[in-house]
Amino acid sequence: MDFVTSLFPWITNGPLIVVQVMSGLSVAMFLFLVSVGMSLIFGVTRIVNLAHGSFYMVGAYLMVTLVETLPEHAVSFWIALVLAPIGVGLLGGVIEVTLLRRIYHREPLLQLILTFGLILVIGTLVLLVWGPDNKSVARPDALAGSLKILGQPFPLYYLLVLGLAPVVAIGLWLTFYRTRWGMLIRAATVDREMLGALGVDVATLYTQVFMFGSWLAGLGGALSAPTVAVALGMDGDVLTTAFVVVVIGGLGSFAGSFISALLVGELQSFGILVFPAVSIVLLFAIMAVVLIVRPWGLLGRPEE
Amino acid sequence: MRPWSRSTFAIVVGSVLLGVMPALDQAGAQPKPIKIGEINSYSGVATPYTFPYKEGMALATKEINDAGGVLGRPLEFIHRDDKLKPDEAVKAARELVLQDKVDFLAGCISSGVGLAISAYAKDAKVLYFATHCQTSRLTWDDGHRYVAHTTNNVNQYVRVAAKKAASLPIKKWANISPDYEYGHNMWEEFSTYLKKLKPEVEFVQLNWPKLGESDHSSYITALLQSGAEGLFSSVWGSQSIAFVKQARPFGLFEKMRYVAPSVGNPDELDPLGKEAPVGAIATPFAWYDPGLNKLHPNLAAWSKKYTEWAKEKGLKDPSPKLGGSWGYASAYIIAEAIKRAKSTDPEKVIGALGEGFEMDFPWGKVVMRGCDQQALPPQWIGVVKMDAQGKPVAAEIEEVQGKDVVRSCDEVKELRAAAAAKQKK
Repeated sequence: MDFVTSLFPWITNGPLIVVQVMSGLSVAMFLFLVSVGMSLIFGVTRIVNLAHGSFYMVGAYLMVTLVETLPEHAVSFWIALVLAPIGVGLLGGVIEVTLLRRIYHREPLLQLILTFGLILVIGTLVLLVWGPDNKSVARPDALAGSLKILGQPFPLYYLLVLGLAPVVAIGLWLTFYRTRWGMLIRAATVDREMLGALGVDVATLYTQVFMFGSWLAGLGGALSAPTVAVALGMDGDVLTTAFVVVVIGGLGSFAGSFISALLVGELQSFGILVFPAVSIVLLFAIMAVVLIVRPWGLLGRPEE
Repeated sequence: MRPWSRSTFAIVVGSVLLGVMPALDQAGAQPKPIKIGEINSYSGVATPYTFPYKEGMALATKEINDAGGVLGRPLEFIHRDDKLKPDEAVKAARELVLQDKVDFLAGCISSGVGLAISAYAKDAKVLYFATHCQTSRLTWDDGHRYVAHTTNNVNQYVRVAAKKAASLPIKKWANISPDYEYGHNMWEEFSTYLKKLKPEVEFVQLNWPKLGESDHSSYITALLQSGAEGLFSSVWGSQSIAFVKQARPFGLFEKMRYVAPSVGNPDELDPLGKEAPVGAIATPFAWYDPGLNKLHPNLAAWSKKYTEWAKEKGLKDPSPKLGGSWGYASAYIIAEAIKRAKSTDPEKVIGALGEGFEMDFPWGKVVMRGCDQQALPPQWIGVVKMDAQGKPVAAEIEEVQGKDVVRSCDEVKELRAAAAAKQKK
């Protein structure tokens, strides 16, 4: 034990470890929110949507505009939090109907080029609409402070995220396993041709799924807006992390995204404590290990 | 009448034009302008910094030209966008030199761009004034006679921050800096100078998030565990805003004194608003500070003049900015070097720079040091406070002269020798 405590002196500091675990959890919940939409879209449409980070960014920027335009009131923040992701969902719908719908049957490379092009187009549009300055959203007053956990302050806002993400996860599970729509989506991930042959309007289903995935990205962006600077370039950062989480969890698996987000969040949190010098590599090291052991991800299915 | 043949026509028109041209030249007896090709990032993310800089430069140019120009010739800056890319910058530099026949080159906000233009200038034997980027490699490790630097380099303001840090009763320091050259440079300069001034300091928990990282909570909890009493940070821009917003509710700034050069600038303080890190030590250009205005009585008039100019030019935020002061100073320093050389011949201007000179600006004295052609302007250090309106500002500003902290000419010589030896290997 002496050896362990000399190597990791923090191990003896209980309250700080609790805070460390909780902050890792909140990181994980953010990761889950931004990655599950990407996983969902891939599972159904088989498109790796590189523009997912751009939807996240638009969600954050819409949040900025809504909070600024809505009258100053305690509920304005929450109204903005509801409206911003809906705006992103609608944007996703427009993009699916006008662009993506045309390339579902084309080779994957073309799909990657299109969604990559969307990153550049959306990035430029955001620059034109909102300008290059850094923007910021203040936390709602009720959540601006912190809560003492065993004497250690912990940000109240993260508690919101900690609570909200599991609600989204449970909502997703109920939708997928307890509703007809969810059943159709699960069927589409298994065999979309057969589903079409059975008389289901697959095109509309795809649009709905894409809008839903975009909504999730927008929710992630809107929710994280008060904890970051809303700035150009936040799309790329999120895209990489979301992509890694999705790959670790298994492309198309929702439970996989959840477990992978937890794993990445906690490992990152404690990894930085032990090896601060290599924190950048940690995320990718985890991905590499998982891919060596299970090339299709933790809960993914091997492609036939 | 027989119509003119094509060749007659050509001859007649040609000779008329040839005859008229010298006359035109004389009619506009205007002296030829001294042309400076200025390359900077005028699209995208850097524009909050470069637009004020460009207007500062335009204001100074107008003043210089209204007062009769330089050597009786007007000064003219030709601006090009480098899109933050070194190769674009070098392409623009080449065009400016070969096609526009500029006399000098100037510009840069990205250090990578500055070093690339500097390398081109060395080959082409064109004198380049680096104006807006801050790496010390420009005039030190990679310095040569064809590059001069008209603003401070990293070394000067980090050392000022380290000096302040040494005066605090703090022994254990932690770091959070972005994991790329600038971040490592900053920490290296800060930690070595601090250790030199105060050998008993200890360094714990060195954090290197990637540049542009948006979620720092894991670093923050690690810092909380480290037992550090002071935290040096060189995260900047949107990353700095994100870090501060995330660290505050964890109570990080109550546990350790925050020293972050960039956090006192309005482009970070304004978006932070009431979440600004009160008590943080920063190195800002606080043109509004009463103490600074007492020290420099002309500063208020300049701030007013600049604001009116920027407003007229349609800048979204016309208040004075560090970049604005840099553009303004750079134009005057370039003009002064040409005046002293009494020529636009680069070799003669290099000669004038080599002798070194001092200039008075509304914010204090700028020394252009001869040995490395490096500007040593005044540096400021202050503390983030809330003003009476609840708006975060930098206050308690102290002024430190760049020449009192910067590496000496001998040290620069050593750096250059070491860099040359490394290259030979």
